[in-house]
Amino acid sequence: MENKIVLELVNVNMRFGGVLALDDVSFQVEEGSLTGIIGPNGAGKTTVFNIISGVYSPTSGSVRFCGRDITSLRAFRINRLGIARTFQNLRLFVRSSALENVMTAAQNRCRDERPAEGYFYSFLESALHMGRWGTVERKLRQTAMELLDRVGLADRADQAAGTLPYGMQRRLEIARALALGPKLLMLDEPAAGMNPEEVFALNDLITGIHRDFSLTTLVIEHHMDLIMRICPRIVCLNFGAKIAEGTKDDIQNNPEVLAAYLGGDSAEDGEAV
Amino acid sequence: MKKSLFINAGIIALSLGLALCPLGGYQEGIVILLCINCVAAMGVSILTGFTGIFTLGHAAYMALGAYTTAILTVRYGVHWFPALLAGGLIAILVAWLIGVPTLRLTGDYYAIASIGLGEAIRLILENWQSFTRGARGFPGIDPYTTRGSSVAVFAVLTILMFNLLDSRLGRELRASRDDGVAASLLGFNTPRSRMKALLLSAFYCGIAGGLLGGYMCFIQPSMFDMMKSTELTAVVVFGGLGSMTGTLLGSAAITLIMEYFRDISQYRMLIYGLLLVAIMVFRPEGLLGNREIWDFLPRFAKGRRS
Amino acid sequence: MNFTLSTLIQQIINGLSLGSVYALIAVGYSLVYSILLFSNFAHGGFLVVGGYACYFLLTQWGFNTAVSMAGALAASGLTAVLTERLAYKPIRERTSITLYLLIASMGVNIVIENLFVITVGGRIRALPQSTFPTGVFELGGGVTVSASDILSLVVAAIFLVLLQLFLTRTRWGLAIRAAACDLRTAGLMGVNVTFLIGLVFFVAGLLAAVGGIFLSVRYSLYPQLGSITTKAFIAAVIGGLGSLPGAVLGSLILGLAEMLTAGFVSSQMRDLVVYSLLVLILLVRPAGFFGRTASEKI
Repeated sequence: MENKIVLELVNVNMRFGGVLALDDVSFQVEEGSLTGIIGPNGAGKTTVFNIISGVYSPTSGSVRFCGRDITSLRAFRINRLGIARTFQNLRLFVRSSALENVMTAAQNRCRDERPAEGYFYSFLESALHMGRWGTVERKLRQTAMELLDRVGLADRADQAAGTLPYGMQRRLEIARALALGPKLLMLDEPAAGMNPEEVFALNDLITGIHRDFSLTTLVIEHHMDLIMRICPRIVCLNFGAKIAEGTKDDIQNNPEVLAAYLGGDSAEDGEAV
Repeated sequence: MKKSLFINAGIIALSLGLALCPLGGYQEGIVILLCINCVAAMGVSILTGFTGIFTLGHAAYMALGAYTTAILTVRYGVHWFPALLAGGLIAILVAWLIGVPTLRLTGDYYAIASIGLGEAIRLILENWQSFTRGARGFPGIDPYTTRGSSVAVFAVLTILMFNLLDSRLGRELRASRDDGVAASLLGFNTPRSRMKALLLSAFYCGIAGGLLGGYMCFIQPSMFDMMKSTELTAVVVFGGLGSMTGTLLGSAAITLIMEYFRDISQYRMLIYGLLLVAIMVFRPEGLLGNREIWDFLPRFAKGRRS
Repeated sequence: MNFTLSTLIQQIINGLSLGSVYALIAVGYSLVYSILLFSNFAHGGFLVVGGYACYFLLTQWGFNTAVSMAGALAASGLTAVLTERLAYKPIRERTSITLYLLIASMGVNIVIENLFVITVGGRIRALPQSTFPTGVFELGGGVTVSASDILSLVVAAIFLVLLQLFLTRTRWGLAIRAAACDLRTAGLMGVNVTFLIGLVFFVAGLLAAVGGIFLSVRYSLYPQLGSITTKAFIAAVIGGLGSLPGAVLGSLILGLAEMLTAGFVSSQMRDLVVYSLLVLILLVRPAGFFGRTASEKI
């Protein structure tokens, strides 16, 4: 059965000054798939996310989402189309509670670019605390609590996000992205800085979310083994160019991928954009 | 939900207390001044404390409110209440015109630009002799700002402000303050969030200005200079950035301290300056930090979980 | 020479002279900004200290012009260092939020201004006539240049060149430029940051005093004279915060704009033109002419 293409990058180039960060990258993501993007440090993985999510506009090339050209849309518009992401360098609202972080995202939940039913109320209702305010606030809180529970943070709901342990902050970011009710979830190095047990639990979480929400998911990692375990389909980048794409076995046996990894395995932490 | 009721009830109780307790003429004046200063401070607080946009020109919006209300009531015989609302709306309109180009600026660039624009508005009022009577000031305003009217306006605006902060708007503003990039990637149109905060704050300052005119019965462009703008922002920082109850406490404290030193007016400004430095040195996070007063009560801290 | 042209030349000369005074103030302000990344509103206070120190050294103690100016520069520089030590250093050590420094600096400005109101009174004073040359030179066609205009232009140029030499040719100048790139790293590289910041404030105070003296000559001396620094701040913002060439350029643009407006439109409009200019320039260049825009890693 031929699956529907949700996301499509066509000949995307990205130039920062004199540096070619992405060199003619094209790939497609099928609906409901779990795709990994791998590559050594500086391969341009995060730049791909930044271009899809609208942080940058590509120098040339185009990005299509659900059949629509989103190349030059602003970030918040792209988000409202149903793309949510997490960040490699965590970007939580550190002074707000975990619950508030998730509620902040949940209030922007969209369906077809319009506020989702039951998640919206007007300015007047905000000012007067009347009308839908009460029911929607309860609904937001309930949605947020369910998601916190899903990522195992229910008992930390009232704690300020910045004071949570690192691994929990990563999971909180996932919950926050899920709260938007996206069609496409992009996780940027969700395992960075985690210890082996945490990574193990994270694997379960990601595969679980992908299954339960039947959510198209894109995961960046530079640890090959982790992504091999969970992603049926993998795109490999090196020096801004796509060097391989395919199933786990295709990638593992690809000589170019092996060369890229053997050549660049020395630095494991922190990747420059 | 229960919290919202408690807060609204608290504000109403406080307002009734202010409006009904027996006071002499002098104390009544202080209550009126407290209400006016609190309304203006809330306006600056939502912009500086909750959205992270640092302004040094908000006295200009007070001036706009004051002049609109004064001119409408004195020249055109409009009742003071619609005139007061018109003052707030004019402040919103001007804020929008100013905000479109300047809200793109960040940090100290916006702060310095806001000084410039604030002073520019003051200068226009000063030079538009035929309409505003210029630097001589605008006399003969009806004393419509009584204890009753000022407390009523204060109560309504305070309830609205706390309601807004405890709603999607409050979360939106805090998000764009804490991390603009993350906010825009969570679906917030952050330039618009910043604009919303500016318009709201202009409205509050405009209303406060209109009330001030009715209290003093005389307004003058020099009442709304950079010193006044600085004071508004300083009060907000003193109360604690990101704390609306802190803003109210800070505003009340500064108003009362300045009243206390009225007799030694020479030293008043000196004390005020020293106070600013001392607060920043000894308690830069302000009275309440970024927490609201009820966050210090254990009952609500638990109640938030349910 | 027709009237318009002579007015034009006249106002350009006046504008450059005024701009050079702004430049002295703006450069000091920008220098502090480049290191500590906050707007030091006490800068106006330093300027007032310089003006009054010069005035009293001349009139009360009867020193000659050179000694009085040197004394004024020292007084202003020391005030700046003292301000940094007493007010800013404790804040810097507690938090990295520059807003608190900004508010404290406003407090310091109010304190200095009102100390003068209380001790010497608010009345307007003028530096004694004999202090600076007062001659007026006729350039033909009705264009005149006052000696004080030339003097302020020359002195400002000298001080700016000296500052440039100091920043480029001395060890401490190099350290200051390094700190402007990254204060923390400069500290890790063995630069004595406390001393360095003190030095920066001393230099800034010094320049403010020169500006203060020339402003007292041009206008007059009163405790609120420091409010003129707002213009210098605007000049620095137009040039790009933290950029010294930017501050000079912005100051000259501002001085010219002010004087040309005064000459061709009306004197009352000059401030309004300054503020509109600020907004217009920031519209096109949100970080001024030479300002650094921080790009963030996401």
